[in-house]
Formats: sequence, C-alpha cells, structure tokens
Amino acid sequence: MLTFSAISKTYYQPDGDIQVLRQADLHLPAGQTAALLGESGCGKSTLLHLAAGLDQPDSGQIMIHDQCASDFSDRQWNHLRRETLSLVFQQYHLVPTLSVLDNLLLQARLANRLNPGLQQHLIDRLGLAPLLGRLPHQLSGGQQQRVAIGRVLMHQPRLILADEPTGNLDEATSHSVMELFTTLVKETGSSLLMVTHSQVMANYLDHQWLLQAGQITPVLARDT
Amino acid sequence: MKRQFKQTIWVFVTLISHYRRHPGQALTMALGLISGVALWAAVQLINDHARSSYAEADQLLGAEARYWIRSDNGLGVAVADYIGLRRAGFEQLYPVIETQVRDAQGRSVAIIATDLLALPVGNGIGSSARYSNPFGASSWLALIQADYQAWYPQSLASQLGIEPGQQLVLASGERLPPALIQTQTQQGQRVFMDIAAAMAILGTDTFSYLGVGRLSKLEHLRLAALLPATLKLVTNHQALDLAQVTESLHTHLTALGLLSFAVGLFIVFNAVRFSLLARQGTLTTLREMGISLGMLSIAIIAESLLWTLFGTSLGLVMGYALSQLLLPAMAMSLQSLYAAELGSLIGIQPEQVLLAFGLSLTGVVLALTLPLWLRARESIRRQRDTAAQWQQDQRGIRWLALVAMGLLGLAAVLYPWMASIEQGFLMLALLMFGGALLLPWLVLGLIKTCARLLPKHQWLLRWAVSDALAQLPHLRIALMALLLTLTANIGVTTLVGSFRTALGDWLETRLAADIYVQSESLDIEAIKQAAWLSGYSPRIGLDLRWQNRPTSIRGLDLTAPDTVDMVLVQDHGVLDHGGQNQQAQDQALQAWRAGDSPVIPILANEQVQYLAHTPLGSIIELPTPAGPRRFKIVGYVHDYGNSSLAFYLPGETVMAHWPAAELLGAGLWLSEPAAQIDPDWLSSRLSALGVKPGQWVLQGEIKRISFAIFDRTFAITATLNTLTLLVAGLSLLTALLAVHQQRLPEYAHWRSMGVNFSQWLQIAALPLLLMLAVTLLLALPLGFSLSWLLINKLNVIAFGWTMPLLWSWWPLAKLGILTLGIVLTTLTVSVVRVRQTLPTAIKQLAGDSG
Amino acid sequence: MGGLHAHSFLKIVLFLGLALPLQSLASEAYQLLRGDPAGYAAVVPGKALKFPEDHLPHPDYRIEWWYLTANLIDASGAHYDVHWTLFRQSMSPLADPGGWSSNQVWMAHAALSTPEGHVYQQQFARGGIGQAGVESTTSNKVPANPESTTATDSPNQFQAWLDNGMLKGQGSAPLPGQLSFTVEGFEVSLNLDVVTPWVLQGDAGYSRKSSLGQASYYYSQPHITITGQVTRNQHTTNLTGQGWLDREWSSQPLAPNQPGWDWLSVHLDDGHALMVYRLRQDDGEDWISGSWITPEGQATSLNKIDIVFEPIRHTTLKTGANSHHKLPLHWRVALPGLGRSWTVAPRSEDHWLNTAFPYWEGPVTLDGTTTGQGFLELTGYPESQ
Repeated sequence: MLTFSAISKTYYQPDGDIQVLRQADLHLPAGQTAALLGESGCGKSTLLHLAAGLDQPDSGQIMIHDQCASDFSDRQWNHLRRETLSLVFQQYHLVPTLSVLDNLLLQARLANRLNPGLQQHLIDRLGLAPLLGRLPHQLSGGQQQRVAIGRVLMHQPRLILADEPTGNLDEATSHSVMELFTTLVKETGSSLLMVTHSQVMANYLDHQWLLQAGQITPVLARDT
Repeated sequence: MKRQFKQTIWVFVTLISHYRRHPGQALTMALGLISGVALWAAVQLINDHARSSYAEADQLLGAEARYWIRSDNGLGVAVADYIGLRRAGFEQLYPVIETQVRDAQGRSVAIIATDLLALPVGNGIGSSARYSNPFGASSWLALIQADYQAWYPQSLASQLGIEPGQQLVLASGERLPPALIQTQTQQGQRVFMDIAAAMAILGTDTFSYLGVGRLSKLEHLRLAALLPATLKLVTNHQALDLAQVTESLHTHLTALGLLSFAVGLFIVFNAVRFSLLARQGTLTTLREMGISLGMLSIAIIAESLLWTLFGTSLGLVMGYALSQLLLPAMAMSLQSLYAAELGSLIGIQPEQVLLAFGLSLTGVVLALTLPLWLRARESIRRQRDTAAQWQQDQRGIRWLALVAMGLLGLAAVLYPWMASIEQGFLMLALLMFGGALLLPWLVLGLIKTCARLLPKHQWLLRWAVSDALAQLPHLRIALMALLLTLTANIGVTTLVGSFRTALGDWLETRLAADIYVQSESLDIEAIKQAAWLSGYSPRIGLDLRWQNRPTSIRGLDLTAPDTVDMVLVQDHGVLDHGGQNQQAQDQALQAWRAGDSPVIPILANEQVQYLAHTPLGSIIELPTPAGPRRFKIVGYVHDYGNSSLAFYLPGETVMAHWPAAELLGAGLWLSEPAAQIDPDWLSSRLSALGVKPGQWVLQGEIKRISFAIFDRTFAITATLNTLTLLVAGLSLLTALLAVHQQRLPEYAHWRSMGVNFSQWLQIAALPLLLMLAVTLLLALPLGFSLSWLLINKLNVIAFGWTMPLLWSWWPLAKLGILTLGIVLTTLTVSVVRVRQTLPTAIKQLAGDSG
Repeated sequence: MGGLHAHSFLKIVLFLGLALPLQSLASEAYQLLRGDPAGYAAVVPGKALKFPEDHLPHPDYRIEWWYLTANLIDASGAHYDVHWTLFRQSMSPLADPGGWSSNQVWMAHAALSTPEGHVYQQQFARGGIGQAGVESTTSNKVPANPESTTATDSPNQFQAWLDNGMLKGQGSAPLPGQLSFTVEGFEVSLNLDVVTPWVLQGDAGYSRKSSLGQASYYYSQPHITITGQVTRNQHTTNLTGQGWLDREWSSQPLAPNQPGWDWLSVHLDDGHALMVYRLRQDDGEDWISGSWITPEGQATSLNKIDIVFEPIRHTTLKTGANSHHKLPLHWRVALPGLGRSWTVAPRSEDHWLNTAFPYWEGPVTLDGTTTGQGFLELTGYPESQ
C-alpha cells in the first residue's frame, strides 16, 4: 500500500542541519496496520507528512497504492488525498459549525462516496447515534475523536495516516477509542500508518517500527 | 515596588511585541483611530472656525463694526458726507464698498473694498502699528496706488483660475487690478482691494455703506444728530444673527463628524478584538505565569494610552489637512447662504487641540480598554476554550439585540417630544445605533433559519451558511460600521435628492420672469413702454427686525404674471406642514389679493411658521412707522435657501404701511424667447432702462447659480459620507484578512480532507454575501427612517423648509453597487491572500514537530 | 520699534504671508527719510523761501511736516504739554493726479501730557479726498475736494487738517491761529499768538543734514504764546504757555549712515529760545547744528563748533509689553561761545510713541545758566536686547 525506498530528508536550519531520514525504507502492505514509534522530535511526523504529500523528500521514492507519488504535482496530491488518503490528528479538527452527522459525512461527501450501509454501521459501532444532532463543542474529547475517526472511515480511504490520534485523551478513553479504531479499520479494509510515542497504543497494530537515527527498523511484526 | 514596575514593563513589552509580528493589526488600529479622529476633528475645526468667524462679524476687515451707516434711498453714501463725519471727529467711521460682480465667464465674484488708511484698526496706537506703515512699507504703495492690487485668498484664486499678476475681466469689460494671493483679516471668499480701485472699476462715486466702530452714548447721540437725512445709523446684529441662523447647519455637521468618529471607534473595537484574539494565548500564558490581573490591566491601559496618543495626534494632523481641503467649499456655501464670511486660514487654538484630545481620549480609551479588560478578566480556563467563547458571543449578540430594542423603544417613546435640533439628532442616533446593534442578531437569526430550512442533500450550501456562525463574531463590528455608514448614506442621499427636486420645482414656479433686475435706478415708466418686454413685476420692500430676527417685507405687483400664478405650500399628505388643499389655497390667495378684511391678510415664507413658530391663521404685529400693525397669516410660500423671515403683501399695501419701502428690482418678461436674444442687444436695451451691466441676470443663470450653491453646500456632506463608507470598507477588509489569517489552519485541514478551492470559496464568500445582504436590507428601512426624520423633522426645525420626501431607487442602487464593489474587492483581496498562504498552512498542519 | 509692536507686526506679516525681510524693523520705518530722492525735487541752497506759499504743501518733495510742540500750565501750575504734527508724504515722484488717485498720504500724531499721564494717537489719511490736507484759498492750488472749501470760513485762510485735528490760521499763514484736536477723549483747543517773525533755520532756510549733501528746507516760529483749554468728560481746564512750530520739507533729510537724530527746542526764562539737533552718524562724527534766538526773534545759526550737545546718561525704558529702549533722556547742552550751559532732564520719562515711526518726544526742563523748558525728540534708537 505504502512503500518508502531510500528516502532522505534534511531540514536546513541556521544552527545546523538536521537529517531526520537517511535512506529510510518502509513497506506497509494493503489492509495492514503499522505503528511508527520513536522519540519526540526524531522525525516521525516528517515521515507522515512525506506520506501525505505535505512535504517532499530530498531523495528516494514513495509509492502509494501502486502509484509513484514522488513526482506528484500539488494537484495530483490533492486528488490523492481526496480519493485515497485520510489524515487523523491529535486535534480532532471537526468543523465547529456543523452537526456531528454533517461532520461524520463531510469527507465522504467531498469524495462523493456516501454509503448508507456503512454510515449506519459506523454510527452504531462508534455509539454516536444519540449525538448526531449536536454540535462538536457539545461533545467530550473522546466523543469528538470518535467523530473524527468516523469521518475518516466513512470516507473509505485506502490508507489512513494518523498522528497521535489519542494524544489528547485520558488512558481509559484512549484504549476504548484505539480498540474501536483498529477494529473498524480492519472491518473497512483500510491500511493504517499511525505515529505514536506510546508502546501501549502501538500494541493495537499489526506492525511496530522504530524510527531511530534516520532509519526505520521493524521491532515487531504480527501476522494477521 | 521596583520589581513590580519592572514586571509591568515586561508584561507591557510582551503585549506590545505582538504588533511586530502583526503589523497589519497595528495598521488597522491606527487606521481606525486616525480616520475617526481625523474626520471628527476636521468637522470640529471647520465648525469652530466658522463660529469664531461669526463672532468676528461685528468686525470688518479687522476694524470694529458695531453699526453701519447706510443710505435710505439706496444710492449709497456720498464721499462728502463721509468726509464731513470724519472731520467732525468720528474717526471710527470707514468707507466700504461691498458688491457682487459678474466676470466675463458669468461667474459671480464678491468684492470688498475699504480705505486701509482710514480703517480704525483698534483704538489708537498699538493698533495702527499693527497694520504696517503706509509711510514706510512699500507693500502699501502697490495696494493703494494705480494700478492697485486685488487680493485673493488662495482658494478663491484657485477657483477662479487666477494667477498672481492676472487681471480678472468682468462682464462689464472692466478689469480688476492685478491679482495678489494674499488676504486681509475677515476678507472671506471675497476679492479685497483699495476703495479707490473699486470706485473706478465699478464706476461709482458713492460707498456701499460706512462701517462704524465703538460709539459712546454721547457719540451715538451726536452722530445720529449729525447724520444727513438720507443716511441712517443701523446696529450691526450680524454676529448674533449669524450664530443663530447657522446653528442648525453646524449641528448637522457636528452630527456627521460624530458619526465618523463613531465609525472610527467601531473600527478600533474591531482592531482590539483581533489583537486580543491573536494575543489570547499570550494573555493566558501571562496569567498562568502568575501575573496579576492588576498588573495586566496597567500594561493594557498603558498600551491604550500609547495608541490613543499616537492615533489622536496623527488624526488631528490629518483632520487639520482635511479641514483645509473642505474649508473653501464650506466658506463659499456659508457666503452664499448666510452672507457669512469665513477667513481662509484655519487657526488651531490650543484649547481646540486639548478638547479634541480630551474627547477622543475618552472615547478611544473606552474603546480600547473595555474589551481588553473584559477579556483579561475572564477565567484562565475559559480562555483556552474557544467553543465557550463562541457560545458567549451568541449570548453577547442577544444582549446587543436587547439593548437595540431598548434604544429603538426609547426613540419611539421620545418621538412625540422632539422639538429641537439636538433632540432630533438624538433621535437619529438612537435609531441608527439601535439598528446597528440589532444587525448581528438579525444575521444570526437568518443563518439559523437558513441552516434549518435548507434540504439535507444541500450539504455544501448548509455548511457555507452555517460557516457564517464562525465568521460573524469577527465580522459583526465591521458590519455594524458598514450599516451605520450605509444608513447615513441612504438618508442623506434621499434628503439631498428630495431637496434638489423640490428646489428645482420651486425655482421653476418662483422664477417665472426671463430677466431679474436689481437696481434702484430702474425707470418703471420706460419699462411699461418697452415693446420688447411682454410683462414686468416690480418688487418693492424693506428690511426690518421681527421677533429679533432679520425680516424682509416684500410688496408684489398683483397683475404681474408670477404673482398671478403664485403657489402656496401644498399639503404633502404626510405631516401637517401648514399645507392647504387647492380650494383653501384659492380662497386664501383671493383674500390676500383683496386685502379688505378687518385684519389684513398676509403671506409669509415657511420660515415664519417653523423658525418663528407662527402657525397658519396667526394674527401677527409688524412694526411700521405709524406703530405696530396687525396682519393675519393666510398662507405660506416655500422660500428655500433664505435664512431670513419674509412677509409678502400687495405692493400698495406695503407702500401704505411703509412709505420708506424702496423699489428693489423687477422681473421682466421678454416678448421673444430668451434663448433667441443677443446678450449685447439685451444689455444695451437694459441700459436704456437705467440698468447697468451686472445689475441684471437671466433666469437660467439664477437657476444655475442656485444649483451650484446647492451642490457645493452638500458636497461636504457627500465627501464625509464617501470617506466614511471607504473607512467602513477598509475595516471590513482588515476584518476579513484577520478572520482568514486566523482560520488558515482550519482551511488547511479542510483542504487535506479534499475541499477544493471552489468549494472553499463558497464557504468563505457565501456567509459574507448573506451578511451583506442582511446589512443592505436593514439599511434600507433605517435609511428611509433617517431621511424621513431629516426631511420632515430636522430640516424643518433647522431651516424652516419643508419638501416632499422623494424615494428614488437609482441613487440607492448606485450605493448598493458601490458597496457590493467594496465588499467584493475586500473579498478578492482576502481570498488571494488565503491562496498565497494556504500551502504553507497545509505544511504546518500536523504541528511543528520535526 | 517696540517689542509688542514688532511682535504683533510679525504676526501680521506671517499671517499675510508677506515675505518682507524682518531685519531691523525700526530702521525700516525710518528708511523713508533716507530713501532714494531720485525723481523728487532736490533741496538746494540759495532758494529764497516765499510766504505764504511755503506754508503750503510741496508735493514735489517726498516728505514734509507741520510740527507743533507746547509747554502749558493750568491755573494751579500743573503742567500740560502738547505735541501735534501733520506729516505729508508723496508716494511717487510723479505729479499728483488728485482725487481718489492722489499719491499724497497724510499722517497725524497728536499727544498730550497731563498730570495723569501721557496719551497719544496716530492717524493716516489719503490725500485728494478732503480727509486731510493743507491748503489756503489764496494759493493757486485747487482744493482737492470742492466740498472741503465749505469748511474754510473766509478767504486767505490757512488750514492744515486730518480728520478733526486742525491747525487753522487767522490769515494765510498758520500763525497766528488755532489748533484743535482730540486725543483719547481729550479735546484740545488752543489759540496761538505770535509777534516775532519766522526764523529761517540754517542758511536762510536751507538746513544741511549731512556732509553728504542731505538737507531740508526748515523754518520755525519759536515764540508762540498760547491760551486755550483741554476738555474731557465735560470738564474743561484752561491753559496758558508757550509753543514752537517747525516747518520742514525735503526729499531725503537723512544720509544713509544716519540712523536717527536727537532734537531739542527750548524756551529759556530770560526770553531766549534755543534749538539744537544732532544727527547721529555710524562713524561717530555726529552732525550737530542749531540756532540761538533772541526774545525778539533774531536768530543766530550754530554749528558743530559752537555747540556742546551730549547725553549725560541713558535710561532704559519699557516701550512695549516685551520691548525696551535705551534712551539718552538726560543731556548737557552748552554754548561755550556765549558762556552758557545747562543740563536737560525729562519732566517725565513716559513719552515713548509706539507709532509707525516709533520715537520719544516729551517735555524737558533746563537748569544751568538760566532755567527753561521745551521739548526733546529722540528718534531712530534700536530696541535694546
């Protein structure tokens, strides 16, 4: 689904350049989930940005869904993000003026990919049915993140890129959200690459990779 | 103590440092402050200047003018009489020639001339020296010796296109002396020259009148006794009269100035909002770091003061510049309307500067400090919670609506008691600000209704509409400012349009004759004989004081065509304006013509009804040489542009009661259409009737001049209105820029979800257009109410003129298009800005972690 | 020129936007007396003065004056001093077109010292319209304004006037005659009697003012006996005393290097009269001249070698709200050849006239060989810093 081949990325800064990725390789098969672990500031998020086309590598090749994305134009990236990719952030980025239902459907609508069966299924599984008419600020943090996750899954992306999705939640909520998230990802058949610093959260995923000194090394591969 | 001071300084520096990163916000704040103060100060300066000029109306060209000596017979004051009085020891007398001449291009030019050598500038010594030394200074020689000099104020020279050294050619063929761009005290917008030059050019050997300085009681008696029978000593009431008649005009202007100031303050409120929003994090961090509320307040107040000082100083400077730009038009208007002379240089007095500072300081500190302080006081927890603020904002909007209802209710309650111009403006203020405060609530209501009513599948449209909820808190103050200026624009546009139409209609009926002659040497018998004339209407009259106001009595020829067709004030059907229906009018005019009732029927101008508060049917007493005489007011006529009271009687009645009434002039009807008449032929024919060039004017010319005066008078209003609209547009632009700047991360996330540009544009623009629509729609009824109040109430109270309100859509459409243009421009600018900055925002989407 | 005066003048100048150079306004005022005489008639020696014609204006000459000073007392012996002057100026050397186009300008100064203080007034008038002038019906000059002849009571009558200030001769000469004027509410009316002849100053009326050739025509009447009255607020005081009339005309009385002059005219108690003046020169070589006149009116011209005329001390006077002038109000005068010497002191220091031509003019007393009284005039002094 997602393949990095010999990717290098250096940030040029006045007080010394920082090479966050050096000839890094990574392969995430379709339908699988992986956690990218690492110290704060080691370049995890950079990797995610490269995968989402928010930033460009200095060298190397990125393959997404059998397409070579390294030379994509902005327009192509936009298309890819709209059709294939989905991003989940620590902040939920819900549209505050839209109801929970509208927020849930937003991304699917944008991609013109509404699926009433999936819609009902996800709302039930996420337990959002009683909350659909509310506005985001009337929800708790966990509820808001569930809406954000629901929105991404409703979109049925082939690849989900998540950046510390439970970073704002307490431990108990984190676990329930994570469990639900990974289960639903499996159910919808998407691939997931999640950046986290939490080993506990990483345990919910098929693969665990460690980013260290610009290199990615697998620490665990669970066969699904 | 010292540590605390240091801490406060640090807090202050921390807060202020914000503007280094956001120069745009600093610019907005400065813009609001400066434009508000500048517009207000400009009006204030002009008003103060005009008022101080009126106060000088008991002076003429730097000399005191407590009295005038005028001739009874309209022939002017003979030189010998003047010299006789001077040699009898009345050194406080001086000769004046004051007249209007027409130049070769048909423009009217005011001339004032005196003998500077004889002018009693002050009393005796310190003052003679004030006026340089005619025995020494060469500047005098050129003024008082052939070829003489004509002194023009800069503005008049520019208006007439006169360069130094040029000689203005008059319609009579005479040339004024070579021009000098220079002014004499109290010269106003007139050409000043030596009286010898004026006498030569005008071909006269008499003075218009003599100015008279201070007289002791004894001197007064002696002078009155010495005066030849043809001359009379008249007290100069001008200072008082001018202050009285122009008061309304200045109140009008003050209201406009205050409106501009208010719009400026709205912008400041707006700017403070954004600077706070942007600094919310800093404020919260400071609070979290244990900085006390008191210290924060001190730092905030210090910032406010800094801004105020900066904005007010620059605003005053700009205001001064603006007042200089507006002054010439204003001075010309005052001259044409009230014969009030304004100096061509505005002097700023220290008191004025202090007052301006004091007023704007109070207003601005309020505008700055209040929101800053409120925000700073909020609990730390709530400051981090945007949703809570969003909610609070909606509560605030409901509060504003309640206040608005209160203001509008108060206006409704006060309406029946409205009698003075100040109360009238209070009413306007209540109405306008009530409307403005109501606007956000109306917008909110409309958004919610739309969002509810839109079908489910129109999800993008619903999203766009509901996004208005996110934009409203940021834009609402700019919208309110826009509403205020739109309302004022609609109100004033309607007033001006209605007034212009009424003036045109009135001139059409009033100016029936082809030629108007103003000459005391008119040969009536020759006029009767002239075959080239088909009719004439002589006007006789005199001026007196009634109810302590300048009042003219006019005698009309009952057989003259324009008297036959005379029209009284019509019933407008809206208010009781003393208007009569056709039948009542006919009866009134019949009684007036017959004049045989026990109490003589008299017609009056509307000013008598509204300024002197004398209703239709009143019995009034007018002073005549034989004692007070009673008359009954049977009708009113429109008399736009006149600031004096006037009464109209058949000519014979006037002569019977006031034998001293003089022939003032006449209207003449030509046998052939005026357009086919050769001016030179006409001039020579008129000369034969005793009418000198410059003493007659064609009907069309009067109309042209009248409209010129009218347009000039309202030019200042239009200028202020347009400026205010532009300022409001700018405030909208800065608000939009700030909104989008702040929401960039949000937009970036939308983008990452696949929202394309056109979808984004809909979401960003639709709410704005929706809000604009509400604003425009609300501005219509508010503007209508405003113009209704202005025309039917304030104008009547202020000038005593009534006119029908004329609602015309075309100027409003133009205003709408202008506003739409301004809004679309601001939208385009902000959209372009978003397109430029969005890519960076998208890169920063996932936070700043490397 | 006084400080207040200069200050307010400055304001006016700035207000009018005139680009007049402001350097030394005082000297600017006196510049008229030094101006280029080109085009005007020249003062030459040897011209015989003719009366009554020369009592009348000489419009060919640039500047001219009729200058009367008087030391008077009331019944109680209180001093009243009078100074009335009519100045004439031609604004151009061309012939006077007369009427409103006249190139003649008139200026009158009237001043009165009473026991209460000093009042003065300055007025201007244009020539040609009858507001001011000097004329006599016997002169071949046509009166400027036909109406004004009505004010002349009889033919052969001299009159010099500006507004209601008037010196009226009984005949074609200014003296004997009457002077009447008002100043700041005082109405002054004086009868002027003379028995002695006119005194021609200098060389038969040709009075040199400088070694550079500047000169004027100058004659005087030093022995005027005066009775009259001053009225104010309907209260009349009768006055008697002595007066002095100076007549002078020129086109350039001052040399370019002469900033001003000091002039003294006195009546001595033994009946003699004395006039001395000093034209101060930048080079310190002052031009000093004068005349010694017997009670019978016989005059002897005095030159620099005959006269000691020097200040004893200078007094700083406040001459305006912000201005001061340092003036020599105390003098030593001596005529060594005649064995006479005096000290001169002002009756009161307060006699600064802040007029267009600012100057000090006031009554003085003499003490020395004989006592006496007269008038001192100090002109062209700069404002002290």
